[in-house]
Amino acid sequence: MSFDVLFNQFMSGIARAALLFLVASGLSLTFGVLRVLNFAHGSLYMLGAFITYTIWKTILIPVVGFYVATFLASLVMGGIGIIIEFFLLRRLYARGWPEQLLATYAIVLIITDIVKWGWGGEFLSIPRPIPFKGAVSLFGFPFPSYNFFVILLGLIVVIFLWWLVYKTRLGDIIRAAAHDREMVSALGIPIPWLFTWIFVLGSIIAGLSGAVTAPFGSIALGMDIEIIVECFAVVVIGGMGSLPGTLLGSLIVGLVYAFGIMFKPELALAFIFMVMAAVLIIRPWGIFGRPER
Amino acid sequence: MMQRSEVGVNNSAVKRGWWLILLIIAFLIAPFVISKFYLTILCEALVMSLFAISFNLLFGYMGQLSFGQAAFYGLGGYVVAMLVTKLQFNFWLSLAAGTGMAGLVGLIVGYFCVRLRGIYFSILTLAFGQLIFVIIFKWHKFTGGDDGIQGVFPPEYLRSIEAYYYLIFFVCAISAFILWRIVNSPFGQTLKAMRENPERTEFLGIHIARYQLIAFVIAAAFAGLAGAVWVPFYRSVAPSYLTWIKSGEPVMAAILGGPSTFFGPVLGMFIMTFVHSYILGFTHFWPVIMGTIILIIIFVLPGGILEFAKVKITERREKANIAKGQT
Repeated sequence: MSFDVLFNQFMSGIARAALLFLVASGLSLTFGVLRVLNFAHGSLYMLGAFITYTIWKTILIPVVGFYVATFLASLVMGGIGIIIEFFLLRRLYARGWPEQLLATYAIVLIITDIVKWGWGGEFLSIPRPIPFKGAVSLFGFPFPSYNFFVILLGLIVVIFLWWLVYKTRLGDIIRAAAHDREMVSALGIPIPWLFTWIFVLGSIIAGLSGAVTAPFGSIALGMDIEIIVECFAVVVIGGMGSLPGTLLGSLIVGLVYAFGIMFKPELALAFIFMVMAAVLIIRPWGIFGRPER
Repeated sequence: MMQRSEVGVNNSAVKRGWWLILLIIAFLIAPFVISKFYLTILCEALVMSLFAISFNLLFGYMGQLSFGQAAFYGLGGYVVAMLVTKLQFNFWLSLAAGTGMAGLVGLIVGYFCVRLRGIYFSILTLAFGQLIFVIIFKWHKFTGGDDGIQGVFPPEYLRSIEAYYYLIFFVCAISAFILWRIVNSPFGQTLKAMRENPERTEFLGIHIARYQLIAFVIAAAFAGLAGAVWVPFYRSVAPSYLTWIKSGEPVMAAILGGPSTFFGPVLGMFIMTFVHSYILGFTHFWPVIMGTIILIIIFVLPGGILEFAKVKITERREKANIAKGQT
């Protein structure tokens, strides 16, 4: 196998890793602070994709239509995040985690039916936006330039989250709350307020990642479960609630998938789980995770 | 304390005796009383109850929430379907093979999963469950992919609904009895001890991972048996049997009925199955209704129906005792 083929595969692996990071970072952030594993994160991502499609179709602005739709859909998803956190999750923080998990599972079922009812079961897609319409040549192989946009967006979100978590006062609070919730609360910081905004941020990221997949592949029912299972692999490999862990996990899963698909397409997903099993034998909490208290 | 609870178990076992016999008689005469339509739903409720009890061995007794139990259920079904349609294998041996295969895969998956606790255990079981689903879904040549396998017929003498109903009833009743014995054995007590206080149990010299692995394999095997016995009745199997949506059903049944009781998941499953068949009569939007029911239970009936009833009964008894004490 020649170098150029491998490089091409490597680049599509990176693009996939960027998308996985976008979705998994929201999941990991919510878990890190709220200690609630949001099964519905994939559903928010799916809903974001469908809402982007509808907005794009309605406003029909040339050239920047997709970007405007992406922005608006992310805001809508933030609003939906407020509703879910305020009316459901907030009332469950005092309960056991199985009930929290089951509640987010219920949201998965409800969103699935809303999408089925609102958009039907067909495949939808948005054409790639300008200036990422064509393909660039990488060592003679065509590589969709839209992938660069996804990678770029992934990088922006990595840097933004890193800045937010490690360089701001809010980040200090986030890390402190992940460590010891009672202590932060005792220092006079309103925890419910913090939780709402973290969940909203997670939802906005879910909506954003859903929006960028619209021109990446196609939008359809079932895309939520497909991505959430891979995201679980990402966070299990990298460590739940850890930003560098999520980044590393995304890269591993994205690249293993890209090279696995070249080797044996049916088993591409199986390779991911083999890596996951291997990591778990050595480090049950993931590479950057910390043992559960 | 120990002695008191022992006596309590015996007492309730005697009390429970007569209504259990009534219940068994009711199940035995059911085919003569209810219509074929309801008999079919009853079959489904029984099989799903066995599935739910197997799940609750992990959730209610061991304290670990598996979100991949449907993989074993589907695996049992697939083994039977493939043996019967492709090799014309003996029906009874196929059932045993389906159970054994689910147990064997449970051993491999469980080996990794029992290292983790709490939410991590749930994620890992979910991930492995989806892995098994994807393999069956994508391996079109071997498993039929998303078409599934049709034409899985039981032997001639089990073709009628009534005959197969009795098979399902006996398989489920015997399995439930075995599982009941397991949870009330020293092994079951050890599982509960691990749930309540893993550190202390470990200090008693109990190898937690080994015990949890045994429980995981038992649960997987019984889930496999449930799938194995269901598929010839339904005459077909599809990859949707292994998805996490299916895995969520026993979770919901357990939380609805009460995971801290042995029959709670059964009650939950019966309610769910009958509500499901009723709702399908006028809408296909079953998931949204199921989701809404889940949220209502979580908010209104924490602990499940049986737990709620138990608390109410104890409260009433205590009130009666106080009243007695005063007079």
